[in-house]
Amino acid sequence: MPGGPFITFALNFCSGFVALLTSYYAYKSNRLVRSSILGAIGVGFMLLGVGLVVDAGTSLVSGKLLVEFPAERILTLLASFTYLAIQMVAYLVVAMGYAKAAYGKQVATVPVVLAGAAALGLYRFSLLSYFVAMILLAFIVFQGLLIRSGGKSRYSAMVLLGFGLILAAHAILLFSVLALWPGLFVVGTGVQFFGFLSLMAFVVRSEVVGSG
Amino acid sequence: MAQGERQRSVLRINLDILNAVREEGDAKPTHILYKANLSHERLVKYLDDLLTKGLIEVKQDGENRTYRITPKGVGFLIEIRKAETFIQGFGLAI
Repeated sequence: MPGGPFITFALNFCSGFVALLTSYYAYKSNRLVRSSILGAIGVGFMLLGVGLVVDAGTSLVSGKLLVEFPAERILTLLASFTYLAIQMVAYLVVAMGYAKAAYGKQVATVPVVLAGAAALGLYRFSLLSYFVAMILLAFIVFQGLLIRSGGKSRYSAMVLLGFGLILAAHAILLFSVLALWPGLFVVGTGVQFFGFLSLMAFVVRSEVVGSG
Repeated sequence: MAQGERQRSVLRINLDILNAVREEGDAKPTHILYKANLSHERLVKYLDDLLTKGLIEVKQDGENRTYRITPKGVGFLIEIRKAETFIQGFGLAI
């Protein structure tokens, strides 16, 4: 796909920026409210933001330079591996925050066991990491649906939409890796960007509503 | 967790007091008492705390004592409202 690496770079860079912004607001709110789930969201999104920015740089470099300098392939692979690992940990932290808030400390270890068991199979790490991230995101979306159905919040729809789109993006990304379909990988990155965009709309709205 | 919940409930009470004081302009203790749904003893404790933090100020006119929110208190109220809206998105409440 012509321009694919640049599109992936731009989308991941913007998603990373939004993730870091969400992390900042979670941290800021947590200073006042002191909640374990907010702490988890702050740490999780900070990791995601760093990972996405690293991945954005990698996708840009891998576009052209690697053809000319094959030795740098190892660095790109390492960066990609790091991003996937960070992403898995980030969603794990957020899922644990949700689990702890909903079911208490003991059940919060379930996502850890789940991710740990899956991570044991390092064979085809990229496939595995997308799969684990999907399971963790499915759990987060499920908790979001429960919150929404309980009518606890007017603002949870945008958060739910954001996590839902990121979940859908991971399904597309997983399929694109399985099918070796680079075009679909860009589509998946785009869907993920719209997920983060929904989260940014929520952050901006919470600032505007709070100020009013 | 228990400590977190205690802190949240203190925050909620402080919010109710600040909202009552802001709505009224110069708020009498009885009005705040009614709006924040507190006993007199607890109200005095919370008002002292808010005065110490500079979030409200007291005006003494003879025997009448009224409370007014300070600019710092208004800023605090705005920050708390933003945080409240943010955490509602994740299904939490203050």
